[in-house]
Amino acid sequence: MSVLAGTGAPAGRARRALMFSGVRRAVGRSAAVRAGGGLLILIIGACVLVPVFWPDATNAFVTAPFAPPSLAHPFGSDDLGRDVFVRTLAGGRIDIAVAAAVVAISCTAGTIIGACAGSSKRRWASLTVARLVDAFIAFPYLVTILVLVVIVGPSAQIGPAPRGLTAVLIAFLVLGWTFYARLARAEAMTIRQRDYIVAAEILGYPRRKIIFRHILPGVVPVTIAYAVADAILTMGALSSFAFLGVGVQPPTPEWGAIMYEGRAYLDSAWWITVCPGLLLALTGFALSLLADGLLRGADD
Amino acid sequence: MTDVLQAVLIMVLVAVLVFLIVRLIPGDPAQQVLGQKATPRAVAALRHQLGLDRSLPAQLWSYFTGLLHGRMGSSLVEQGVTVSSLVLSGLGVTLTVVAATVVLSVAAGVPAGLWSVLSRLPGLDVGVRGLSVVLLASPPFFVGLLLILVFSLELHALPAGGWGAHAAADARYLLLPAVALSCYLGPVIVRATRQSALAAARQPFVEATLARGISPRRVVLAHILPNSLLPLITLVGLNIGWLISGAVVVEAVFALPGIGQVLVQAVSELDYTVIQGVAIVTALVVVLANLLADVAYTVVDPRIRHGR
Repeated sequence: MSVLAGTGAPAGRARRALMFSGVRRAVGRSAAVRAGGGLLILIIGACVLVPVFWPDATNAFVTAPFAPPSLAHPFGSDDLGRDVFVRTLAGGRIDIAVAAAVVAISCTAGTIIGACAGSSKRRWASLTVARLVDAFIAFPYLVTILVLVVIVGPSAQIGPAPRGLTAVLIAFLVLGWTFYARLARAEAMTIRQRDYIVAAEILGYPRRKIIFRHILPGVVPVTIAYAVADAILTMGALSSFAFLGVGVQPPTPEWGAIMYEGRAYLDSAWWITVCPGLLLALTGFALSLLADGLLRGADD
Repeated sequence: MTDVLQAVLIMVLVAVLVFLIVRLIPGDPAQQVLGQKATPRAVAALRHQLGLDRSLPAQLWSYFTGLLHGRMGSSLVEQGVTVSSLVLSGLGVTLTVVAATVVLSVAAGVPAGLWSVLSRLPGLDVGVRGLSVVLLASPPFFVGLLLILVFSLELHALPAGGWGAHAAADARYLLLPAVALSCYLGPVIVRATRQSALAAARQPFVEATLARGISPRRVVLAHILPNSLLPLITLVGLNIGWLISGAVVVEAVFALPGIGQVLVQAVSELDYTVIQGVAIVTALVVVLANLLADVAYTVVDPRIRHGR
């Protein structure tokens, strides 16, 4: 024990290095990860910066209604003569921020719950979490989200989130952890059997230390790889809410909301629907590249 | 047998969750349905109709016995319409869309996956993989809108939405929604087929059959194809929940009278009994689909049947 004592700092560094080594290896080696990451950074940068410097405001009536795409208005204008380009980029902030926040919180909570359940010695605790997750996942994802939105109430509002978004956020978070918990539990159950965990137990390490220092680092690469794919699903779900009558309310721009507004004019002004959709698909494509590379990195 | 027991356990948990969820609604559901101006008498009557005036265990008991008899109460908004009739009519349409999607995705995805692994054409594999990444990244509702734009508004070939009066007419209305939803399932199937075909092609028995002079085409059709079809049973079973989620949105885009539309309408009208019914029935469909996939797998694959 005396050899191990006093090595807190390096051990912490080593643990962090171990935790992210799979991720880092994948980033360093895979062209897919670099291309996907680069594209994603480009899209996020454009969504954050362009609306600040763009001459037209997101909700201002700047030109004739239904103007086709032009140099001044690259994505054309909508039924009220608003610039679709700046609305699309500003809308992307909501979609990307929500996806990032939801995925980060769900991934952290689910990983910890799953790792604790998977490494618990009490069989009932582990099984309770497993069955609860099974029951949550049995509901089709969107059905659960819609039901939860009804429970929270579409007009609930916390903090600066735009109207209609709070209920959706809460619904995402109530459901989000389950997938991660299932993955983390399965992974923790296999890690728990390894010799070094048994050794740590014999050495009398406290349970918490074993879980957080020795089991969690093995679980994290698996859940992080899934998190990127989850971000695509979250963004897709969020942008489809406008079609279901919940989520971000007009006039706040959001990809799904813009597409929903444009849907009525699909035959005369396709650009209102197609342009935000293409950016949504492009973001999803960047994330898929990233997920693919990370998964391959976590495998070896 | 343990599979069945587990499925039953999950179904019970699902029913309890839905029961609790409706009781979790802040405030009084009856008051919310009727609005703030409702008379106390009307609220009390609705509470009685919902069974909210009884003790929680009594509510749970009558709820469960009702479920076992297939009774889920009647709609709070549309007088005299039972929840089960609403849910079942919607479910029929949704499951038709889902079934068409599965058929379409397997019919397109399996050949694409096999072809990309086995063909010697350079770039084909990369092309198929790239296409599946692009399709997977596009949400089904966006693909649906693009399909409407091209096939309905430009080419006038297929209807932009709605539902036929009889089965033969439905096929025309079914095609675009199923294609849109296949953009999610198809790539998943292509990936799985690629992986299992690669694994099967590396097995010693494939080399042995080739060494015995059997034509490569026969090896692919008689040995590699069945092996790559097996995992698809589980895959489709596991994806039924996602397909129903996707169908909910695609139905909204194509105005199909499926379970998604039933749910969306119930959500906008705060029709709690209908919401409860949709949640339970869709969850049961998912649990049953998973169970069926498990059972089908053991029936189809002799290695699992005899392996234990």
